[in-house]
Amino acid sequence: MSDALTALLEGSVRTATPLAFAALGEVVAERSGVINIGLEGAIIAGALGGLLAAGAGGVVAGFAGAIVAGVAVAAVFAAFTIALRVDQIITGTGITLLSLGLTGAIYRAAYGTGGAALGTPTIGPAPVPGLSALPWVGPALFAQPVTTYVVMILAPATWWWMYRTHDGLALRACGENPEAAEAAGIRASRLQAAAVLWGGALGGLAGGTLVLAQAGTFAEGMSAGRGFIAIAIVVLGRWHPIGVIVAGLLFGAANSVQFLFQAMGWQAPYQLFLATPYVLTLVALATVRSQGVAPAALGRPRRDTA
Amino acid sequence: MSTPAPALALRDVSKRFGAVQALDRSSITVRAGTVHALLGENGAGKSTLMRIAFGLARPDDGEIQVRGTRCAFASAADAGAAGLGMVHQHFMLVPALTVAENVALGGRGRFAAAAVAERIRAIGEETGLRLEPDAEAGTLPVSAQQRLEIVKALARGASVLILDEPTAVLAPTEARELLAWVRRWATGERAAVLITHHLDEALAVADDVTVLRRGVTVLARPVAAVPRQAIIGGMLGEGELHAGAAPLVHLEEPARGAPLVPPGAAAPAGRRPVLSIHEASVVDARGVVRLAGATCEIAGGEIVGVAAIEGSGQAELLRLLSGRLAPTSGTVSIPDEVAFVPADRQRDALVLDFTLVENMALRGAGAARGRVPWKAMANETALALEQFDIRGAGRQAPARSLSGGNQQKFVLARELSGAPAALVAENPTRGLDIRATADVLARVRAARSAGLAVVVYSEDLDEVLALADRVLVVHQGRVRAMAPDREAVGRAMLGAQ
Repeated sequence: MSDALTALLEGSVRTATPLAFAALGEVVAERSGVINIGLEGAIIAGALGGLLAAGAGGVVAGFAGAIVAGVAVAAVFAAFTIALRVDQIITGTGITLLSLGLTGAIYRAAYGTGGAALGTPTIGPAPVPGLSALPWVGPALFAQPVTTYVVMILAPATWWWMYRTHDGLALRACGENPEAAEAAGIRASRLQAAAVLWGGALGGLAGGTLVLAQAGTFAEGMSAGRGFIAIAIVVLGRWHPIGVIVAGLLFGAANSVQFLFQAMGWQAPYQLFLATPYVLTLVALATVRSQGVAPAALGRPRRDTA
Repeated sequence: MSTPAPALALRDVSKRFGAVQALDRSSITVRAGTVHALLGENGAGKSTLMRIAFGLARPDDGEIQVRGTRCAFASAADAGAAGLGMVHQHFMLVPALTVAENVALGGRGRFAAAAVAERIRAIGEETGLRLEPDAEAGTLPVSAQQRLEIVKALARGASVLILDEPTAVLAPTEARELLAWVRRWATGERAAVLITHHLDEALAVADDVTVLRRGVTVLARPVAAVPRQAIIGGMLGEGELHAGAAPLVHLEEPARGAPLVPPGAAAPAGRRPVLSIHEASVVDARGVVRLAGATCEIAGGEIVGVAAIEGSGQAELLRLLSGRLAPTSGTVSIPDEVAFVPADRQRDALVLDFTLVENMALRGAGAARGRVPWKAMANETALALEQFDIRGAGRQAPARSLSGGNQQKFVLARELSGAPAALVAENPTRGLDIRATADVLARVRAARSAGLAVVVYSEDLDEVLALADRVLVVHQGRVRAMAPDREAVGRAMLGAQ
């Protein structure tokens, strides 16, 4: 039983890693007042970018390619929503659909119509000496690929930046009252654009993690709604970097549990289990009281001042 | 004695917004060590001129000098660095952040909350503007939010403070305290600019006065050297002074104790009440009793004034009487349609980006079904604009493009256009200039003459007393009817027997 539990924990952390990347980026964007529904697009672009770059230059280049692809998608979103002030939800939806289609097309163009499973080098687990031998949590937390450790450092770093630096303060002010931020001399549009690009970079990294640290291959639509789940994680984590990590782990656990259920061979259609994370997403969005916690200016297009 | 350079000077500044020439070579010179009143009607260009001084708008022409040095501000941050600070009429606070975070906003590098809190306390000691650094800005009372706005500017080293209609949101005693503080603060190298249309409060504390009219500086003198009548003339335009004189005089000397209907604590005998509530209570979402067993009747053809200090339950009383709120217990008996003018016209009465016709169509929209009769609405809007003398905007103009006074007149016009039997108005003259105030008050009186049951609440007790035939005093959720006697009402508002 202890083995099963260890495996469950290990699986939870592994699945949570890309979700946490994407959600940590989205929390920064949302605290600046921009809700990037196009996050799903950044993830799938990051996955394909990671595959292409890794094929050309190895795993490290792969991660760099993933980030570049994610930023590129986010840049399109930023150009429309921040520079041109187009509605954020419509733009984000369009970008997600475009990215899903475009990555599929590029993938087929590059690797043929068969879409045959294509191997790519991956980074393996990098156990931390000592810590990884801890009972139960050791393998889950300290025998993971490097990307997991990056997330574990990124969350408190994001918290520190958000609450202990003037830039973080400016970011939060933009999400609450961009007019007041402008009056305080903050270039709100620029800050929001930077936040969206950062969100895109982490979204790309989430996609890169899927390909280069987990699957070892690319499949069309392999982001599988993770962008939307990440947005739900931000809500469930109450727009706080640490809360986001906890919520991410919860979703990771939900995913692992559904595998466990399937493995137990219960007499139920497996699709039911597959739906677990998505059901949890709906439950999270429906039950978490976001009023008073959500950035007050979230998703609100800004008017011209003066 | 050589004349020191002025603390702030704007020379021949012009600014055009689309077709509107907001400023036409207007100038202002603010001497160090003075309080400078910048006067003018709504839309005269006062705020635009000061927004330019503070780097929030760029002038088409003209120059800005701070202590003799010519400046070109690209942003508010530049203006702040030059020693200017601005307190906006609509506060520029982030409600979800703490006092310390609001003060620190716009800084660079690491944010050390403790150091900022220390700075806030030091400023509190030095200037008397005391604030709790860890309090959330949104939970502060309005007067403390304003203190926070000033402290924000001072923390950035502002030596010239621009205050845009600072007393509009304050109770009379708070307003007096603020003005006294400004007077004490503006000494030595420091200076303050007071944008206002309250003539008396400006003259009480200001050393110099600049009057703008339609974007042009029409008067710039030391207060002592200019007769009051000349300032009024400058604000209203000499030629129009005569026409505007009657409501003006009336406003300055409210007709206390001379209402058309004899005052009395009870509803006029023999007339059926139009609005009546009986033992009505309102309990809010947090379980706080806002209104406790209120009973009152208002008949057609009378104005009932509501007097209360902020947050006493008068907002709930007005909303019960206008059918905008259902009582938690008790009975409310009102006609189907009651005209309602809420205090915050921009938030609660208008959709600023809708056209005037669309805003007109919002009257009674909650109960309306089916197609909108746009043609009739357009005609109704045109009629309202004409009857209420709302100039400068067409029917299809967005509500945002109207000045505050015209927005308020439009709201009144819309609410009255359905021929309602009652009118409930909450602070209907807030933020309006002399002329718009007089207009609005005249409309309220006209509604009474037309037989409507009228209920008016105003923060300005004198305005309530000048209008009202009877007064309802609300104190801690309890409602008491009384005659419009200033002293008795004032005492009842504060809870004295």
